[in-house]
Amino acid sequence: MSTLLTYISVNNGKIKRSSLEVLSRCTQEANKLGFKSAALIIDENATQYSSQLGSYGLTKVYTVEGPSFKNHLNTPVLKALSAVMNRVKPKVMAFASTEGSKDILGALAANQGIPALPDMSEFEVTDTGVKGKRPVMAAKIISNVEAEGDSVIISVRSGSYDLINLPSEPEVESVEVDVGEDETKSILKEIITASGDRVDLSEADVVVAAGRGVKDEEGQNLISELARLLNAGIGASRALTESGAYDPSLQIGQTGKVVSPQLYIAVGISGAIQHVAGITNSKVIVAINKDPDAPIFDIADYGIVGDLYKVLPPFIEELKKIKGE
Amino acid sequence: MDEKFDCIIVGAGVAGLAAAMTLARNNIKFLLIEKGEFAGAKNVSGGVIWGQDLAKLVPEYWKDEEAGWDRFINHRRLTFIDEESAFSLDFKSRHFNEPPYSGVIVLRSKFDRWLANKVEDAIAESEYSMDSFIATNILVEEILMEGDKAVGIRTGDEKFYADNVIIAEGVNNLLTRQAGLQDKYVPADHILTGVKEIIRYERSVLEDRFQLNGLSGMSNEFVGYATRGVEGGGFLYTNRDTISIGLVLGLKDLRDKELKPYDILNDFKAHPVIKDTIRGGEVVEYSAHVVSSGDKRGIPEKLYKGGLLVCGEAANLLMNAGKAIQGMDYAMRSGILAAETIIEAKSKNDFSITQMKKYQGNLNNSYIMKDINNFQDAVQLLHNPVMYQKVPSLINHFGRNFFTIKNEPTKKSREMMGESVKAHSSYWELIKLGLKGARSL
Amino acid sequence: MKFYVCIKQVPDVSAPLQIKDGQLIQDNDRMILNAYDASAVEEALVLTEKHGGEVEVVLIGPEKASETIRKALAMGAHRGTHILITEKQKIDSAVYARILASYFSDKEYDFIACGKQAQDTDSGLTGSMLAEHLKIPYVTNAVGLDYENHHLTVKRQGDIGQEMIELPAPGVVTCSNDMNEPRIPSLKGIMQSKRKEVNTLTPDELGMKMEDVEIKTRILGFEEKPGRKPGKKLEGDPDKIARKTAHLLDEEAGVL
Ligand SMILES: Cc1cc2nc3c(=O)[nH]c(=O)nc-3n(C[C@H](O)[C@H](O)[C@H](O)COP(=O)(O)OP(=O)(O)OC[C@H]3O[C@@H](n4cnc5c(N)ncnc54)[C@H](O)[C@@H]3O)c2cc1C
Ligand SMILES: Cc1cc2nc3c(=O)[nH]c(=O)nc-3n(C[C@H](O)[C@H](O)[C@H](O)COP(=O)(O)OP(=O)(O)OC[C@H]3O[C@@H](n4cnc5c(N)ncnc54)[C@H](O)[C@@H]3O)c2cc1C
Ligand SMILES: Nc1ncnc2c1ncn2[C@@H]1O[C@H](COP(=O)(O)O)[C@@H](O)[C@H]1O
Repeated sequence: MSTLLTYISVNNGKIKRSSLEVLSRCTQEANKLGFKSAALIIDENATQYSSQLGSYGLTKVYTVEGPSFKNHLNTPVLKALSAVMNRVKPKVMAFASTEGSKDILGALAANQGIPALPDMSEFEVTDTGVKGKRPVMAAKIISNVEAEGDSVIISVRSGSYDLINLPSEPEVESVEVDVGEDETKSILKEIITASGDRVDLSEADVVVAAGRGVKDEEGQNLISELARLLNAGIGASRALTESGAYDPSLQIGQTGKVVSPQLYIAVGISGAIQHVAGITNSKVIVAINKDPDAPIFDIADYGIVGDLYKVLPPFIEELKKIKGE
Repeated sequence: MDEKFDCIIVGAGVAGLAAAMTLARNNIKFLLIEKGEFAGAKNVSGGVIWGQDLAKLVPEYWKDEEAGWDRFINHRRLTFIDEESAFSLDFKSRHFNEPPYSGVIVLRSKFDRWLANKVEDAIAESEYSMDSFIATNILVEEILMEGDKAVGIRTGDEKFYADNVIIAEGVNNLLTRQAGLQDKYVPADHILTGVKEIIRYERSVLEDRFQLNGLSGMSNEFVGYATRGVEGGGFLYTNRDTISIGLVLGLKDLRDKELKPYDILNDFKAHPVIKDTIRGGEVVEYSAHVVSSGDKRGIPEKLYKGGLLVCGEAANLLMNAGKAIQGMDYAMRSGILAAETIIEAKSKNDFSITQMKKYQGNLNNSYIMKDINNFQDAVQLLHNPVMYQKVPSLINHFGRNFFTIKNEPTKKSREMMGESVKAHSSYWELIKLGLKGARSL
Repeated sequence: MKFYVCIKQVPDVSAPLQIKDGQLIQDNDRMILNAYDASAVEEALVLTEKHGGEVEVVLIGPEKASETIRKALAMGAHRGTHILITEKQKIDSAVYARILASYFSDKEYDFIACGKQAQDTDSGLTGSMLAEHLKIPYVTNAVGLDYENHHLTVKRQGDIGQEMIELPAPGVVTCSNDMNEPRIPSLKGIMQSKRKEVNTLTPDELGMKMEDVEIKTRILGFEEKPGRKPGKKLEGDPDKIARKTAHLLDEEAGVL
């Protein structure tokens, strides 16, 4: 029986919600077509996470463990992935679209000689492969795409599918992968992380994003205060990650991250298409901008035309009242 | 590489491209510099080339499959509007249907780019295929002078030298002023501002609505309430699957009346008559640009110096006498004339001021200065408040009475006209206007 | 050192576009150098200016894409290779990567740089596919590069932070536009570019018969994105509209 295999990414000791979204979709597709849904975890302590996968209707969890997988480095992961794929021969190998999966998708496809469809917003498994939709032209439009093959690799944008709850007791199978000399040509020397306890942007329910309009520390303090109050992830436009005001990993958009929160608040952001490319999956968009013609207002559900330095203080104050703080 | 050119042209608008084409065809080694990312990137215009110089530059351009033009005009309309009505003069004729057309509608970003490619082709065929260039995304900051003679240009810290410089920089003529050919101060009443939107339709909808056939097109000019009483007028041109709709407005009058061009354009589009004409489309582009008034007093006295010529709208060469704006025609012809002056200068190896002066002589003998001189009164008439405020109201008042049937004794039309005149103007004003008009047109 | 940079010509995504019968129509057919590739060219130029060497750009595309090669040459790249395909061939990243791989198969080089993705499709596959075909190590999404001793030190933007990775030559690196501001060609650069060597060849000459190439992913058509429409726009006294929005978020949108 064919298998739809989902790669589970783990970050900071936590399974990423976006992988679970993909897993949920794969299980639904598998159930519809009479296939098996399975998951794959590649991590230093992969088995430790398998118990968290009990509610996704899985038949099997594959794990690959070892010290080589402590941090993300493409060669060992690639070796592990191809070993598992050779073994399982999945009809679909699905990833959540993250920097980690983007790093290996192409190489894996070339290695396996099979097609890849990256960054999909919808997909379905067909007799001949996979078809679905992906945003293109800086996410201005959707292209309908199709890949043909006994096995197809895909990655899926965060926020594209809801989580399911389908209890099951998957069998856990550990796959041995040798990471030899060949796989360690490139060496990871150091990871520079910005302050640790931050909310992961691509998973956050609320995102507050700062743009060039946030000019100084006073502005940044307002952003932090608003984010704290809403328990939000802080993001930024390229203007501010480039200037160094915010950490580069907080960039949202075509180059940066795609977010899919319930509430997205853009403060002093003009709404260039490359920024908007990363936020259109948000449920509600609020924009604060002093220029009434700023393009961000074309997509905002609530647009506040005004100076952020005058708007944010009363906005925060009122939110505090509502939240009973 | 010998970096001295025979000629450096500043600006790849219509004027600069026409000059470049003429030089390339005559084996002159030149450099054409444009500040936009590509030729046409920065150019806005309502878009009708009326005259036939285009056919000189690109013979049989209409046969080019990827032509840079949109439609040829076989249907013209002049509309007077007041707050609620429109009264049009409408002319359509089969005899406009054959090339060479007497009016083609263009979208500048497409047209300029196409023409630039034609110039590239001409360069490739010339003796200087490796030595003549079109360079884009480069801003010329200074005309280099030696004494009273231009010898090259500067961009950033790069300098390039030539026997001659042609300034074709368009209406924002900073370099022309820097060279001392125009006063730093140009009164605001010699400057207008143009605002334009491009609205897209299904092609079949557009063709049905405006009665187009194949590549035929319509041009419509508007006088009157289009501008909410501000000096100026409106236009509507049909492109392949879009229309260009816009206004040209007096800067001084705008300032005095404290109105914003965009608001006036929105009102124009919401006018009951216009609204029906343009309904259902999708606005895909908005742009604004300064444009000369066509007033002769705005033209610099001298358009040359040693080693230097000024052409196109940089020299404020433009005609706006009501029935059409002619800026691109003048740009093209003056560009050609400037290039011809260089070709002659090169053959004699004489770039002195006396040689350069011939350009102005040729310009004076061309239709450009003849028309500008002959139609000055019409230009000024057009900028007379009576013309853009009272006359349209009067005509529409008459129109409403004339076309309304009330089942009561109908007045003679002369009587109706009298009432309209009384309501909106005085006989005296009209007589003055009539006399002026008769003299000027 | 010898640096190759793979560059792609892409449509300008900021230009207006429309979809008719599932086809994508661009209002102006203006094509540009992929922004991520421009950053790759810039970085290769900076490194070779510092450590000596040569930058060659390689582009697969139809004839008119040669203007994009000129652009890279005007920036300062030393030479170009144009692998000609016809406009009609609907090629995916996998095929581009294979053509590139066959081009590089007999070349000597230290590094090949690609963009991290093409601006129009955001696929981001070609670079790592190419590395896998050539069996050499790679790093994607580079935001900073340093060269020493036949190694690149690559600063890569990962999911949680930046990873510093040592990449030995020969290797492939894919570049983010966050690593630099690509230079705008100078007038001299533009003039020199006309005289630089561009080598034109076909996939056929590389031993690839395009007719026989199997393309495994296909675009079936395009459609509008389920639109976001502008919602409420509040103007006026900042204090009032700020407080009002807070309540709207609570009571109307229900997202607090
Ligand atoms: C290939 C490519 C990829 C890109 N990828 C990304 C990406 O991933 N993410 C991204 O963000 N950008 C990206 N960009 C850049 C993008 O095009 C824009 O340049 C960028 O998003 C602009 O950031 P901004 O809106 O903060 O700045 P600006 O465009 O300068 O806008 C600042 C806004 O703040 C407003 N403002 C100023 N002061 C105040 C005030 N006191 N109160 C209220 N409002 C105020 C202004 O009205 C203005 O609208 C990319 C570009 C390219 C070419
Ligand atoms: C709204 C509107 C509607 C119009 N409608 C019509 C019409 O229907 N018919 C018509 O014939 N005319 C029309 N015109 C007028 C017409 O557009 C101009 O008269 C014509 O474009 C002038 O051509 P030009 O080549 O002199 O200048 P431009 O077309 O303005 O070209 C000048 C070029 O020089 C470049 N440049 C400027 N400075 C520098 C520098 N320092 N370094 C490098 N490059 C530089 C500019 O980027 C530009 O590309 C209209 C104008 C407007 C604004
Ligand atoms: N046709 C092409 N010619 C040369 N390089 C290409 C081509 N297509 C893709 N590339 C390279 O691969 C990168 C990623 O492209 P893509 O996989 O299409 O997102 C680009 O930034 C280029 O560096």
